[in-house]
Amino acid sequence: MIQNREKFLEKIATSLNRPFSPTQKPVRNWQHKPEEKKLSHLSIDELMSAFVEQCGRLNNTNVVEVSSGDVKKAVDEAVKQHGGESVALWNDERFRALGLDELYENEWADEGLRVHVWDSNLSRTENFERTNDSNIGIVFAEYALAESGTVVLYSAEGQGKAVGLLPNAFIAIVKKSTLRPRITQAVKEMEREFVEAGKTLPAAVDFVSGPSNSADIEMDLVVGVHGPIYATYIVVSDQ
Amino acid sequence: MAIKYNDNAFKDNVNTNLERDFMRGAVTSAQNRLHGGRLKAVDELGDWEEWRKHGEEIRQHVLDNLDYYLYELSENVEKAGGHVFFAQTPEEANAYIQSVVQKQQATRVLKSKSMVTEEISLNEALEEIGCTVLETDLGEYILQLDDHDKPSHIVAPSVHKNRFQIKEVFVKKLGYPEDGSADAKDLARFVRTILRDDYMQAEVGITGCNFAIADSGSISLVTNEGNAGLVTTIPKTQIAVMGMERIVPSLEEMEVLVNMLTRSAVGQKLTSYVNVITGPKRAEDVDGPEEFHLVILDNGRSDILAGEFKSVLQCIRCAACVNVCPVYRHIGGHSYNSIYSGPIGAVLTPLLAGYDDFKELPYASSLCGACTDACPVKIPLHELLLKHRQVIVEKEGRAPVSEGLMMKGFSVGASNSTLFNVGTKIAAAVMKPLSKDQMISKGVGPLKDWTDIRDFPIVEREKLRDWFDKREKKGGK
Amino acid sequence: MKVSLFATCLVDTFQTNVGKATVELLERLGCEIEFPRSQVCCGQPAYNSGYVEKAKEPMRKMIDTFLDAEVIVTPSGSCATMFKEYPHVFKDDPAYAEKAQIVADKTYELTDFIVNVLKVEDVGATFNHKITYHPSCHMTRLLGVKDAPFTLLNNVKGLEFIPLPYSYNCCGFGGTFSVKMGNISEQMVDEKVDSAIETEAEYLVGADGGCLMNIGGRMHRRGEKIKTIHIAEILNQQA
Repeated sequence: MIQNREKFLEKIATSLNRPFSPTQKPVRNWQHKPEEKKLSHLSIDELMSAFVEQCGRLNNTNVVEVSSGDVKKAVDEAVKQHGGESVALWNDERFRALGLDELYENEWADEGLRVHVWDSNLSRTENFERTNDSNIGIVFAEYALAESGTVVLYSAEGQGKAVGLLPNAFIAIVKKSTLRPRITQAVKEMEREFVEAGKTLPAAVDFVSGPSNSADIEMDLVVGVHGPIYATYIVVSDQ
Repeated sequence: MAIKYNDNAFKDNVNTNLERDFMRGAVTSAQNRLHGGRLKAVDELGDWEEWRKHGEEIRQHVLDNLDYYLYELSENVEKAGGHVFFAQTPEEANAYIQSVVQKQQATRVLKSKSMVTEEISLNEALEEIGCTVLETDLGEYILQLDDHDKPSHIVAPSVHKNRFQIKEVFVKKLGYPEDGSADAKDLARFVRTILRDDYMQAEVGITGCNFAIADSGSISLVTNEGNAGLVTTIPKTQIAVMGMERIVPSLEEMEVLVNMLTRSAVGQKLTSYVNVITGPKRAEDVDGPEEFHLVILDNGRSDILAGEFKSVLQCIRCAACVNVCPVYRHIGGHSYNSIYSGPIGAVLTPLLAGYDDFKELPYASSLCGACTDACPVKIPLHELLLKHRQVIVEKEGRAPVSEGLMMKGFSVGASNSTLFNVGTKIAAAVMKPLSKDQMISKGVGPLKDWTDIRDFPIVEREKLRDWFDKREKKGGK
Repeated sequence: MKVSLFATCLVDTFQTNVGKATVELLERLGCEIEFPRSQVCCGQPAYNSGYVEKAKEPMRKMIDTFLDAEVIVTPSGSCATMFKEYPHVFKDDPAYAEKAQIVADKTYELTDFIVNVLKVEDVGATFNHKITYHPSCHMTRLLGVKDAPFTLLNNVKGLEFIPLPYSYNCCGFGGTFSVKMGNISEQMVDEKVDSAIETEAEYLVGADGGCLMNIGGRMHRRGEKIKTIHIAEILNQQA
């Protein structure tokens, strides 16, 4: 439902000294486009170095680059490094394709780790509680962004936002082929894939750069005020 | 809490705050810390001036086509399953939000930081209908705990407190151990454990909106803490409130402005979280809000849009101007007596809340231009302050009579060379008997205000033009 | 080159020594100096207080005075900035719009003129003292003259330069601000004086009479040893 729109927009049009006409899409004719030049000339390996370097500047953010055959080992190691105990993760076919199902369906349980796979058959409260009780959350990112050390997460049925937010540490797996110079390229692709194709964006698109931080005490950037305290990105070299 | 904090005169608020040594120390050190970080972050882009021009052209284009983009936004929010409410006044906005909350029979409201909800006193409106409202931004949370202390900065609301004072608040209100550490990291970690239960119980989440995105019907939220992420994930109902000018055409412009915002505000390439929310959760999703409401507020903005202060609406609320302001540095945010402080506050507050209570603010600037220089979207802040002064003097006729007479004298005296010459000679002569050691330390008349603080140096007695006359007579060079 | 000196009220009346130094320095660099006697105040005190209409009278007088000059040079970044503002002030005044532009275009602040018009970087001065430098706000930010003073000071023999901490912060002068908001101005100038003392310099150098009068007046009131000096006076010192 949309309420009070006509009067509101007519007042704005009056302020702008013209009648209100919602049909005329304004032409954007930017004289400057500095964002397209930044880092756009780098090769994929140069981008990878830039990504690793930037993650080094973020608080508590680790990057591991592995081939697809080694992802399982890398994820297992990362889970152990973050203290193991309990893991929440997305219900995501991409994990299965990388052979991680052996970890979360068998091996971890055998080792005594608690595992919660996001479950749309359970209530949201149950999903929240199990995720909140987990030490580590594992998600799969659509993009990695070199300049800012960012991973981009989409929400979906099996992809609960809470998994990246509630546990103490989060692990994001991302394909190297989705590494982009900066946010510029990622949003351009989203515009094409969703907006221009007449599709609605996922309910949440989250650009996440490292763990939760706060600068509210003396402008000193410290970790972990609400969300995760640690982050590990596992970059899968799939090319 | 609305825009205005108290009924004291500006001078009294300033004098009170000048006595607050803790505040002044905290603000000065925050400014010093941010100065280098911001410069490094913008220099790193390599062509900051081009970015600024781009930021400016985006914001100007949006303002020039604001009616269209708000129309497009509302269409797309609705298409994504959300509701849009256009509110002319704070009362309309609050009444709508109250009705949404009451319909859910909710009482537990969680907020992530939003200046516009401060502007409309939303917390009070929700408390009136029996809700508990919890601020989750660490800075806002500290203020709320400390018996509703007021924000003194648009990005870092509790910047006027140092970590020892914050620890004291935690000891008093949350049972933090007296001998516990006052390290920022430990204080933040402590809040994490306390707030987690509140997140899990929340029924309604309320956020602001950094930039709405017209073509996708989204809102974006920029935080470091991830609190906006949680506030838009756990509660079943989400309400976002935005000032009507906080909008961009597409994700592409959102990206540019968010980059400029985070670099200018805190010297980061991106903050830890940028959340782009489009409508309520999809039917098959488990988390995210089941209902999404967007409230778009005018509250005087359309009047600003029509006038000579239009460019202030370009503001992206990064507070770079606040962080470089040498006046803010000493008097702190509370002196401005407004939720919007610093140079942007001195321009915006009189526009939103009138000259009656805020006509001193435009004079609380030495016009040093540091604000204009730092603004990522090129708002000519010091020129707007000057424009306010012009309006106050020439349109509103609110200047003191004595000042008006003095300026009239100035206009006559300074524009006639003979009068100017005689006048300045008299000035020099009049000052002579007052001076010792070629300095005046006790002035009279207009000079008194000067010599209350500093001596008035007279280095030479001979006027330059007289020296020139003599020299030419002597046939000097 | 024939230079028309725009002395500024402060220099004409109270800081004659700065005017003399400016004249002697420019003559030494081969310029012929003219002092148009009809010059008055540039209008800035009224303009910056919001009395734009009242400020226009002296402004018109200044435009008439300097219209036929070859170049206009002034030992003040702030007053030069005011001249540069004239086209903006008179943009809707058909009688003065064009003239204002002509005057603005040939106006230079002293150090900018020496370095960028005369193309002189070493004026052959000697000054055997330890100094620090306060970059005035209008000169650096609004006029955009940032490097010229340093270029010239760098080449002064015997001079030892110590950077001023937080040099970018305003000294608290701001014209009528210094008296209208005296309580705030006092804090600003105190911090500036403290920073200057911290450098252990003998002189704080500036290129704007207003700022120097403010900082110097406060130093003197506090009984500090450090003194202020205008850059023209240093550049005019010869061994």
